[in-house]
Amino acid sequence: MTDTIDLLEAIGQDASLRHASAEDLGKVLAQAQASEALTAAVASGDSTRLSAEFGLMQNKTPEGILSPAREDEPEEEDPLEAPVPDANPLPSQK
Amino acid sequence: MDTSALTHSNNTCRGSLACVGMGMTLGSHLTPLARSHIERADVVFAALSDGIVEKWLQRLHPDVRSLQPYYQEGKSRLKTYREWVALIMAEVRAGKRVCGVFYGHPGIFAWSPHKAIEMARAEGYEAHMEPGISAEDCLYADLGIDPGRFGCQHFEASQLLFYERRIDPAGYLVLWQVGLVGDWSLARFQTGPAYRQVLVDRLSQDYPLDHEVIVYRGATLPIEKPRVRRVALCDLPNIPLTVEETVVLPPAEPLRLNLAMRERLDALDALEKAGKEVQA
Ligand SMILES: C[S@@+](CC[C@H](N)C(=O)[O-])C[C@H]1O[C@@H](n2cnc3c(N)ncnc32)[C@H](O)[C@@H]1O
Repeated sequence: MTDTIDLLEAIGQDASLRHASAEDLGKVLAQAQASEALTAAVASGDSTRLSAEFGLMQNKTPEGILSPAREDEPEEEDPLEAPVPDANPLPSQK
Repeated sequence: MDTSALTHSNNTCRGSLACVGMGMTLGSHLTPLARSHIERADVVFAALSDGIVEKWLQRLHPDVRSLQPYYQEGKSRLKTYREWVALIMAEVRAGKRVCGVFYGHPGIFAWSPHKAIEMARAEGYEAHMEPGISAEDCLYADLGIDPGRFGCQHFEASQLLFYERRIDPAGYLVLWQVGLVGDWSLARFQTGPAYRQVLVDRLSQDYPLDHEVIVYRGATLPIEKPRVRRVALCDLPNIPLTVEETVVLPPAEPLRLNLAMRERLDALDALEKAGKEVQA
């Protein structure tokens, strides 16, 4: 079986695969013995199907938010010490 | 060509920082230069919006540290972003070659990379940013928009509500982070329809309520297609909308001639023409 991340990388950088139809891509995946999750994701056009393989981690919503709408908040203390991550990260993550 | 002579080993313990973009789509957008920064770093920090892309990044480097755990609902994101900068700087100061990897372009609607680079430089470290393909770039390609045609304004959606801004409805308007519009606390990951209604009310000062708006999500995995939804402005509060989506308002007015400027230019043209005739 070809590794899913390797396959995704290969699809992403190949002009004949990146915009191929689900059907054509399906054939390539069958040949490469792609995982069930990847095959299902491509066939259905629903990439959340990959969660069957990777768990619920596709849309890490907060991590997409990188920009504050305002910067006028006072800086409390200069965190010169590198902070410790929150012990209790969001339940849906990783 | 033998390029080995070009890759000199940089063994100094002087810390350095590169903030690079991962692009939007796995496999398609990572530039050779960004990849090289990642591979030769001692430590990699990552803020990526797609967990599978993060898995891919982990293939490129053995020490990838996710910045995700520092987010916390109820905690100001500005605090989180300052923590990221502190984490990055702690490694730079420890003499490490540090690479910060951000999805899209590391400098587009992203606070920490700019701040970390500024701070590293101020402390005398080498630091720079490598551009990446952003959601903005994908949007132009997928929606067939040329920002040069009518001009294009970009705003963080909340900024339109927090501050007095001037919108030009003769050009495109691109709104980022609409999914959490109006969150003054900077501590929420999402706001609801009532907040989006305030945005619509603000936009209705410049656009008719039936104006078509485009809700866009570009592909993050190469097996995805872009998602493009078109709705009337007045319906924006009531559709499901994720933080990953960007909202585009096409122009609502034609370009209007600036007659005063035209007159000045005509006068200049006439002067130039007269000058040439005198010379001839
Ligand atoms: C903090 S900005 C980060 C942008 C990123 N640095 C870039 O270069 O695209 C987050 C916003 O980017 C936009 N965005 C992120 N992912 C997107 C996607 N897959 N498609 C369309 N827009 C996206 C949304 O407007 C989202 O609220």
